[in-house]
Amino acid sequence: MNAIPVTIVSGFLGSGKTTLLNRILNSDLASRKGLKIAVMVNDFGELNIDSQLVVSAEQNMINLENGCICCTVESDLIEQLRKLLQLREGRPDVILIETSGVSEPSKVVNTLRYPEFKNLLTIDAVISLLDAEQFTQLEGTMKRLAMDQLSVADIIVLNKTDLVTDKQLQSLKEQWLFPKASVYETQYANVPLPLLMGVSSAEQPPEFTAPEHACSESCSPQNHTHGHTHSHSQQFSSMSWQSEQPLHLQQLKQILTNLPSNIYRVKGIVNLVEVPEQRCLVHKVGSRLSIEKQDNWQVPKNSQLVLIANSTLDKEVITMQLEEALAVNNYEQLDKRD
Amino acid sequence: MSLADTSFPTGKNYRSSHTGHGVGKADTVFENGHIYTVNSDSEWAEAVAVKDGFFVAVGSREDMIPYIDEHTQIVDLKGRFCMPGLYDMHTHPDLTLAPGYAGYLDVGLEDPTPEQVKEAILSYAKSNLDREWIFGQYFVHFQFKRDGIEANRSWLDSFISDRPVAIHDRSWGCILVNSKALELAGIDANTPDPRNGYIERDSITGEPTGILVDGAYALIHTVMPPTPAHALQRAYQEAIHYQTSRGVVGTKYVHVCENRLDALKVIDDAGEMTLRVEAAISWQDDIFPVRRRWELLAGERHYYRSDRLSANAIKFHFDGTQGSYSAYLSTPWPGESDWRGGLNLTPEHITDMVVDMDRRGIRVIAHCVGDGASDMFLDAIAVARKRNGPNGVRHQCAHATVLLDENLPRFAELNVVAEFSPVGWLPEPYARGREVLGKERFDRMYNFKGVIDNGGLAVMGTDWPVSNINCWIGFEAMMTRKNPWFDNDETFHGQPISVAEAIRVMTINGAHCMSIEETAGSIEVGKSAEMIVLDRNLFKINLQGNVHNTHVDLTIMSGKVVWDRNGELVDTPQQAPLKPENVQNFYERMEG
Repeated sequence: MNAIPVTIVSGFLGSGKTTLLNRILNSDLASRKGLKIAVMVNDFGELNIDSQLVVSAEQNMINLENGCICCTVESDLIEQLRKLLQLREGRPDVILIETSGVSEPSKVVNTLRYPEFKNLLTIDAVISLLDAEQFTQLEGTMKRLAMDQLSVADIIVLNKTDLVTDKQLQSLKEQWLFPKASVYETQYANVPLPLLMGVSSAEQPPEFTAPEHACSESCSPQNHTHGHTHSHSQQFSSMSWQSEQPLHLQQLKQILTNLPSNIYRVKGIVNLVEVPEQRCLVHKVGSRLSIEKQDNWQVPKNSQLVLIANSTLDKEVITMQLEEALAVNNYEQLDKRD
Repeated sequence: MSLADTSFPTGKNYRSSHTGHGVGKADTVFENGHIYTVNSDSEWAEAVAVKDGFFVAVGSREDMIPYIDEHTQIVDLKGRFCMPGLYDMHTHPDLTLAPGYAGYLDVGLEDPTPEQVKEAILSYAKSNLDREWIFGQYFVHFQFKRDGIEANRSWLDSFISDRPVAIHDRSWGCILVNSKALELAGIDANTPDPRNGYIERDSITGEPTGILVDGAYALIHTVMPPTPAHALQRAYQEAIHYQTSRGVVGTKYVHVCENRLDALKVIDDAGEMTLRVEAAISWQDDIFPVRRRWELLAGERHYYRSDRLSANAIKFHFDGTQGSYSAYLSTPWPGESDWRGGLNLTPEHITDMVVDMDRRGIRVIAHCVGDGASDMFLDAIAVARKRNGPNGVRHQCAHATVLLDENLPRFAELNVVAEFSPVGWLPEPYARGREVLGKERFDRMYNFKGVIDNGGLAVMGTDWPVSNINCWIGFEAMMTRKNPWFDNDETFHGQPISVAEAIRVMTINGAHCMSIEETAGSIEVGKSAEMIVLDRNLFKINLQGNVHNTHVDLTIMSGKVVWDRNGELVDTPQQAPLKPENVQNFYERMEG
């Protein structure tokens, strides 16, 4: 059984978390792609669940017609996760956890990394939403929470940017963001799902670019919160890269860490010089990069990476960079030095 | 100065059959009170006479006359309500207070930058050359990200590598340690993760990065020096002061090690232990290491024994908690097909240990939240009674959050005390969290009445810091099952008990729980003279909202006034050693 990817969404009250969750729940991920999404929230009341879609509801779990599950995290996240993993039928393909406005998302992240969940769950992405308008002067507990949310985030979604001036936006960034932060600026929590969730892009053919959507008068905010996939910010592009040559770990790390900021995701399997026997899984979301050992190679040792960006990718430049990490090139460099 | 003044230490006048009895008649007569004795043969009295720390007469003012001579001090109770002192049968002052008094590193800034953390560590290292470990709080992940610095052991190693360093993250979700600390703790790529946490590792090499999460702290704590003696002494002393000021005369400090017992002995030897303490040796090593556990259990514990201090008990955690859904239930948790919770020991381990401890005369205090855990505990005691005889030690089922109805008579049959902690008796959000146990179990929660009606002994423990150390809050809630601070009718599940029943729970039942019921726990001739004088009569007030804030005017321990709230006995032989200004109030807000 593959580990279930988990996306954590944090942010203060009013930052757009619920809008984003509703957008995901109502997207075509469930209806067209048949993905079973489990959404863990603090309070059902926040979600706009169409009662006609509810198949069954008990205590703190609601089953929807499209296979999605909504549950509340009462006092214990661990037990709620155990429950989800133990479901006889309808084990979710992906889990979304909304952390309450007052809890520290770092604790949720820590919990998901417990040994008992190691092979069952994998952290896909940690998203923190920031309300550009409200997120200015915070003090005390709120300030601490904000720091926790930002420091644990893979991608920081700067929401409601239309409500502030460029100057305000600039000062907010200076005060709260850090050099390597991966930031996505938007309104109405309108973030392309492929950036937030690995599964939503998994079946996209490489080179796929969502059609541009011409925003018209009819695109009211309400429309956008429904999250139809045709909305104008859903544009993204991707590229794939592969090589039969093994890669050097340190170089690869460095290149992936310093990719252009419009690349929000990198996923793939690589063949490393340092780990000749095993496949290594590369997972980069926003500012977080992990390279982990997997099972032994069975097939020809091919490195394959898929990169996803929210705008056009300069494929040539990126290909050139990645090739610098190839072992053969290093030898060439060494040769040249001799 | 005479020779006698300088050559001899303060003497102790211990009492035995033919020695230690003071001359003359009663030392003190307390008169003019409404004294509720908790002695069913004679429930009320208006005066008591005390000699050598024991009640020699309990009755009317006239009954006292034969006990009064020229040295007898007469104390006027001014018509106030009096009762035996209270018993808090489960609390943890050391865990609550001592870490704060240990002199650990405190960076002391709201949002310290990595540079400021570094400076603080270096300066602490310089001024604490006698301490090997540099341990404390805190760093802020956010600030490291701002500076583009990875919070890992290499960063710490870059400026301090010769001494072990461990510093908490601000949200206390993790601890950052240097390579020296990892080395001393024996943590490397091969160390398995603990059950309730993990060692953050390099994903390729498996080497620890220096970040230890949640349960992984314990790996460091076990190699660190124990909490310093001065911090433990201060923690216990402050708790004793507080408890004395609230009328507590008997308590249990549950989970101790040799260092904690040493700290308690210092207080006892100084004559400052103004209540009786039963300290339960900890079976756990995940709270703090107990290095001399088996020496203590084998007999070393007797070294600490006095009238005020005993360590003839051991504390186990049989199951987990409601909060983490790990309490061990009799049937699966609501919504679960087979998850009954976790039992920390196998039933065979529990049985063998209970039988062994029972044979040694050591009381087993077993943390049993779920009705499955307590069932297992009672089964183990049944085996102990069979093997060791029926008159063994009285054991204690701690928390007893939910009990099976079938087990209610077994507390009396097997001579086991049911101890309830007040975290859930009153309707407030934290207690509502207990409702996760499922509807079917609600009315069986904190079943004082069920245990009492079946002839068993029920007691209470504040379980500080899990709930407030002021035992009057729980005292009120067991009689009302309502919230003391809100004037509404919302009632928590289960049955309240009567005032008389609750007073027994708080007094004589506690004495039973400490196995001193023959000599304490009620106001009777021949018993140790413990009594409290209150500012209100518990039988004559509207209970909700009016018991938790009761003021104890006088606390009398072994015939001596040890607490005098209003200073009414200043400059008399009964002047209390404890001054009100020396009592720290930990929860002022909750007593109003």
